[in-house]
Amino acid sequence: MTGVQTSRTESIRRSIKARLKPVAERWGSFSRTRLGSVVARTFSTNAAWIFLLLVVLMFIFNFLAPGKFFTEFNVRSMAENVAVLLVIAVGETFVMATGGIDLSVGYVLLFSGVTSAQVMNWGGKDSTNSGWDVVLLGFVVAIGSGLAWGVLNGLVVAKAKVPALIATLGTLGMSWGLAEILSNGQDLRYLPKIIADMGASRVIFDKVPLVVIVAVLVAAMGGVILSLTKFGRYTLAIGSNQEAARRAGINVDRHLISVYAMSGTLAGLAGFMSLAIFTTTTISGHANDNLQAIAAVVIGGTSLMGGVATVAGTTIGVCIPMVLFSGFTILGYQSFWRDVAVGAVLILAVYTDQLRRRRRERR
Amino acid sequence: MRIRTVIMMGLVLITVAACSSSATTQPSGGPSAAAKAWNLTLIQGVAGDPFYVTMACGAQAEATKEGVNLNVTGGNKWDATVQKPVIDSVTAAHPDGVMVAPDDSKALLAPLKAMSDAGIKVTFVDTKLDDTSFAVSSIATDNLAGGTLAAKTLAQLVGDKGTVLVVNVDPGISTTDARVKGFTDEMKNHPNITVLDVQYTHDDPTAATTITTATLAAHPDLAGVFATNVQNAEGVATGLKQASNTTVKTIAFDAGPKQIEDLNNGIVQGLIAQDPYGIGVAGVQQTVLALNGGSTTATIQTQLAALTKDNVNDPTMQKYLYKASCS
Repeated sequence: MTGVQTSRTESIRRSIKARLKPVAERWGSFSRTRLGSVVARTFSTNAAWIFLLLVVLMFIFNFLAPGKFFTEFNVRSMAENVAVLLVIAVGETFVMATGGIDLSVGYVLLFSGVTSAQVMNWGGKDSTNSGWDVVLLGFVVAIGSGLAWGVLNGLVVAKAKVPALIATLGTLGMSWGLAEILSNGQDLRYLPKIIADMGASRVIFDKVPLVVIVAVLVAAMGGVILSLTKFGRYTLAIGSNQEAARRAGINVDRHLISVYAMSGTLAGLAGFMSLAIFTTTTISGHANDNLQAIAAVVIGGTSLMGGVATVAGTTIGVCIPMVLFSGFTILGYQSFWRDVAVGAVLILAVYTDQLRRRRRERR
Repeated sequence: MRIRTVIMMGLVLITVAACSSSATTQPSGGPSAAAKAWNLTLIQGVAGDPFYVTMACGAQAEATKEGVNLNVTGGNKWDATVQKPVIDSVTAAHPDGVMVAPDDSKALLAPLKAMSDAGIKVTFVDTKLDDTSFAVSSIATDNLAGGTLAAKTLAQLVGDKGTVLVVNVDPGISTTDARVKGFTDEMKNHPNITVLDVQYTHDDPTAATTITTATLAAHPDLAGVFATNVQNAEGVATGLKQASNTTVKTIAFDAGPKQIEDLNNGIVQGLIAQDPYGIGVAGVQQTVLALNGGSTTATIQTQLAALTKDNVNDPTMQKYLYKASCS
């Protein structure tokens, strides 16, 4: 009886193996093509697993809250609520790919929003009815403020050799304090109506918020730069082995400054987006954006040691906490459970990544 | 294979947790009530704060009485950027009515307008937006009167002379801004009292502690402090304790368990207590009225009381004490 069964399962296993063989062979030849290697690289990272987790989570919440979680309204809200975070997380991905970290992003975001709003309201005037010229000026100031902090971070890390954790902790405090000083602790509550309209506007059949489009474009560009350009390869090379990168002729200092500058610039852009969404400087807000961005990047499979990173992973890593947050709120959980769940996912993500890495090294 | 097992285990755990909880969060409303068992949600300004816990207790008591379901949620920080996704998710859950304490009077207009446009009745409790046109009702303490009451009580405590400090949360919060206005306006009637520039703490007690000790160093003649909310009062109390200062008179807004303890121990000399329980009760009443098609009251202002060591144990004052949990 058992003997028959064993041989039957054995034959089933063999037939499955035989059927899978051509698939595996086809995959093998596909993975040697250029497009194939990109696909293979994507799926060899944590991103694929994390994407699976995201899909499963959405199924679970849709099952538990039918007609509430997976609705056009909620998907749009979740996308809008991760847009700002996604933009700074893309910058954070590059920084962490070099083996660094940027703690200052959330407060550089605030600082940029404050300087931008102040310039638009220059001389105490009410900018509510200002035109595009004023808005453009505000945009340039936000980007410029972010860029300045980013360059400072880069200089302190690359040239002064201050560890990134400390350097950006320093600029975190400086940018926060200066934002408070500039604004006198008061939220600037008057912004051009054009900006508020931008924050509320939707494109593509009036369905997708403009800020989401901006965030997706930033992520797409970041993804292409990281995985397909020399800049991206240098970034990962520095993260893998800084000394080796230096000896291979990469100007490591200059590259690090560029990477931190990019992170700062994106924080500036995020600051302007925050102005558009909240129509005020939210000076008491964005306090945990830096840690949320780092968590998203890590959930997305970027190594804390540097050298391994994908923007696709980060994008999913940004979405998972928001899906948990929204799902738990819809289900009527006590709010603190959301933090517990996000924390658990963070550890789970890094643990599976470690397991996979260890297995690969054993091979 | 093992990775897959781990992931599956994780997912199973999450599913089990989600299922078990969703089962417990749906208390049966009881079909006995004549009116429909509406589903209401209370979005607190910040979760876990005794003020909002007490408000939730009042709302729950009234919900049980009226036979409607109540769900309570909120961000874990007083922060509009944290509260926005909470509001959006509640809109997606689509209860019949929502009582909300918005964390910013302007930044949350769009998500709350969207909530109202989705056909959900919105009532403001404690704080409100600049634009209340779409709300069923705005229920709050008469904060201006509270500030005036604080100024009068503090002036009495310091003997109508000296320097006083105001420790506020953040600009742009309608309630605390009104308290400060009431306070500074009333102090104009007390020419021998100098009011220092308002200090902001971002609702962080340690910031209030630092501000208190620093102000003591800069102004040795400091006679009194006015703390505009619970977190600030706790911070100020710690600051005075650190400086072992016993001459400065402190008056604080709110009457949480720790403030009552501080009042009894002489760390603060006066408390301006609101009535969060009453706000919660009125919030549910107004929302249910609106859902049943009754006429609602646009603005409701709840009572305040000045608590001192002498009257804190009076039975009439007990309803003004905030709770750490409903009992």
